Amino acid sequence: MTAPMTNNSEIVAEFKDFRKSFGSKEVHKGVSFQLKKGECLGLLGGSGQGKSVILRSLIGLEKPDSGQVLIEGQDIVPMNEEQLIEIRKKVAYVFQNGALFDSMSVYENLAYPLRAHTNMQEDEIRQRIRELLAEFGLSGNEQVSPAALSGGMQKRVGLARSIIMQPKIVLYDEPTAGLDPYNTIRIQEMILRLKAKGVSAIFVTHDMPSAFAVCDRIALLFEGRIQAVGTREQLEQQPDSKLTRFVRGLEV
Amino acid sequence: MIADFATSIGARMLTVARATGSYGLLFSSVIREFPKRPFYFKLTVEQIYHIGIKSIGIVFVTAFSTGMVMALQFGLGLEKFGGKLYVPKIVSLSIVREIAPVFCSLMLAARVGAGIASELGSMTVTQQIDAIRALGTSPIKRVVIPRILACLIAVPLLAAIGNFIGIAGALIVGVSELGLDPMFFVQKVLTTVVITDFVTGCLKTFFFAFFISVTSCYFGLNVKGGTQGVGNATRAAVVTSSIMILIGDFFLTKAFFLMFEK
Repeated sequence: MTAPMTNNSEIVAEFKDFRKSFGSKEVHKGVSFQLKKGECLGLLGGSGQGKSVILRSLIGLEKPDSGQVLIEGQDIVPMNEEQLIEIRKKVAYVFQNGALFDSMSVYENLAYPLRAHTNMQEDEIRQRIRELLAEFGLSGNEQVSPAALSGGMQKRVGLARSIIMQPKIVLYDEPTAGLDPYNTIRIQEMILRLKAKGVSAIFVTHDMPSAFAVCDRIALLFEGRIQAVGTREQLEQQPDSKLTRFVRGLEV
Repeated sequence: MIADFATSIGARMLTVARATGSYGLLFSSVIREFPKRPFYFKLTVEQIYHIGIKSIGIVFVTAFSTGMVMALQFGLGLEKFGGKLYVPKIVSLSIVREIAPVFCSLMLAARVGAGIASELGSMTVTQQIDAIRALGTSPIKRVVIPRILACLIAVPLLAAIGNFIGIAGALIVGVSELGLDPMFFVQKVLTTVVITDFVTGCLKTFFFAFFISVTSCYFGLNVKGGTQGVGNATRAAVVTSSIMILIGDFFLTKAFFLMFEK
């Protein structure tokens, strides 16, 4: 099951023969895939297959041993931290546990990227944060410490902070892990809302209903390579493929 | 068995070499990013409060008790030889040149070093350091430099305060236990301790502040293995910075002796 050929102008991110080892263990043995403009690509795989490393590599938090990571046609692997700043304004990372700064309030967390990268006045920042919190169902929590929020609310604040700079690509690292159905649905709705605005995304998850709810295509990372990529319809047509077997909890 | 031993030694040497290299890289990043914008003045002031103001208590207790004990020990020891009158001279010089800078720095290595290493370690394991980078900002500028600057400002000031507190402790014991005249004590201190003694003592703490802050930041940022790793990093930060202070003290004393005592 492979993805159809894509026009180069539609590709916003691409992995080419990505290889990375940790100690003597080669985790990625030549990962290659493409992310198209406005699509949400689900990245599935068992624990320890290196899915998060793929996401981290897309914003330069990890470097491969060899291979290319292209963002809008630009290889980010040789870039230094200073050069990566521009990439990180375009590509947002939603951490699994929110990774909120616990020494700051929710408001300060959300204001952080705006103060770092824009010349917005404090009134404009306040207005932007108020709108975003309302959109995420978090109004009234501006001055609350992240530690006082529930897990689901922390994830929503983390998501809000990631997208406050209006990125072109969002990387979701298990955003629905450990959430109750209410919060899971809220996160799904937010991802779909961003998708409707044309934001591309890679969605790493073990949560199959969420993957099917938000992803256009699903890829399986297994034994260091992308073993299969396909749409939900393609999955259903090929019941014995590796991806379908993985989704159904069968041995791959 | 010999092969195993050699492998173990080799692995340890490799670890030390890697750590030294990473330490050097952290230091070079700090130097490279220091003059660049943005400057986090507010964060630096906050750190001066946490590192400096909140450490006054521990510096007071350390310097005061050390001054008292030194006066008592020297006083009782020298009394047998009729040398009790030398107590103000000996104690004040020892405190200003060595005891206050080294003891205060060791206590601060424990308090401040442990605080920095555990805070940064927790930020590392909860991916807050990654989040700083992912949001297009620098953890060196935002987290490391304010702490180093705060230490470089606060530690010498605390040691300077420690000098006065230590001598005050010695004065109290000198008067109450050894029967010395307080005016005689103060006069002897003022005629013995010269500005060079005070300056070299404080200059040492500038280096000690650097050892404490850079070492603690290094271990905090390189935590591995979750919460247990935070504990290990904290312990390593305190032990390493304390050893650096003790070893560094000898070389700094020698260097200042050559520079100022000629």
